[in-house]
Amino acid sequence: MTSDIPYERLLQKSLQGELKIVNSQLPVQPKPLADLLDEEYPQVVCRDGTTHLFRRKELDYLAGLLDDDDARKELGLPIMIEVSSGAGEIAVLGTDVTAALISRLLGMPLQSKGGRVVIHKPQLALLRQKLRTTTQYVFRPPTEAL
Amino acid sequence: MAQGVKVTRPTKIELIKLRRRLVLASRIQKIIKDRVSILVMEFLQIARQTVATKQKLLTEFADNYRALSLAAGHHGYLMLEKELIAAERDLGVATGTRNIGGVRIPAFEMKGAEGAQGYSLSDTSAWFDETARLSTQCLDTMVELAELQRSMDLLGREINRSKRILNALEYLIIPALGVTIKYLNMKFEERDREERARLKRVKVLLERK
Repeated sequence: MTSDIPYERLLQKSLQGELKIVNSQLPVQPKPLADLLDEEYPQVVCRDGTTHLFRRKELDYLAGLLDDDDARKELGLPIMIEVSSGAGEIAVLGTDVTAALISRLLGMPLQSKGGRVVIHKPQLALLRQKLRTTTQYVFRPPTEAL
Repeated sequence: MAQGVKVTRPTKIELIKLRRRLVLASRIQKIIKDRVSILVMEFLQIARQTVATKQKLLTEFADNYRALSLAAGHHGYLMLEKELIAAERDLGVATGTRNIGGVRIPAFEMKGAEGAQGYSLSDTSAWFDETARLSTQCLDTMVELAELQRSMDLLGREINRSKRILNALEYLIIPALGVTIKYLNMKFEERDREERARLKRVKVLLERK
């Protein structure tokens, strides 16, 4: 059988390992902004067991953009940016609060459709520049049959 | 021409396994390609930031040295040394990790730099305050630069590693799988044709009888 050949087995293992690495930065449980503002070292635990530290300046900046306490409790951090390989599009995942926040940050009206706000690469670069630690990438594999 | 994948027996089950492997390899290739482009974008942003921070640090050092010279000129070296000893305190750097697209990078934050300076306010002047302020700024910028430089190094290594895997998938593994699938399909077609030709001959022989 082909799968008994050592090279093929090694190849399959390394490819599966790659898939594990690609989304290892995702948090086990996102934390609300309100909770993070009270912590001395605001951080979340990632899927691979490591911690992701947020920058205090960014949290204060986000708190400044969201005046409402309910909005601060609703905004879960880190904000997920989905990169879809199949569709070739980039979207910010989140509720209407996230959509409103992104709109204010980018200075353009954006709407959330099905919990996703579609953005383009220049906007992604700007978003990442302002929120380097409070946003995270999630890589979605292509779903279409090849 | 790409070399094919080693197959023990040209059977339909092997063909199905190879097709599945091709689908998996193609999916992973797309994901890694996206990841590499994202990491390159992050790397370039951090590189620009590193250059700007380095420039800022050099400017701050120059300003700090100028302020120190002015303070030394105003107070004298003996007085300056006395107050500097009094201003000594423990500073800490809080360390942690951050994650960019699966790459773990260090996070550094200066602790203990704010607050009372420790030297006598009545014996010193605004020159001294300015020197202390600029020194604190320099320390903050140094810690920020250390984080940026290390992040750049780690991202660069990860981009190299991912590019190698991407190239292996794109130019070796996927073409090899494609060649083997094509070869197996050809084998099966040949087998079918031979079978049909054999059946025709048998039919003709039976008809003659």
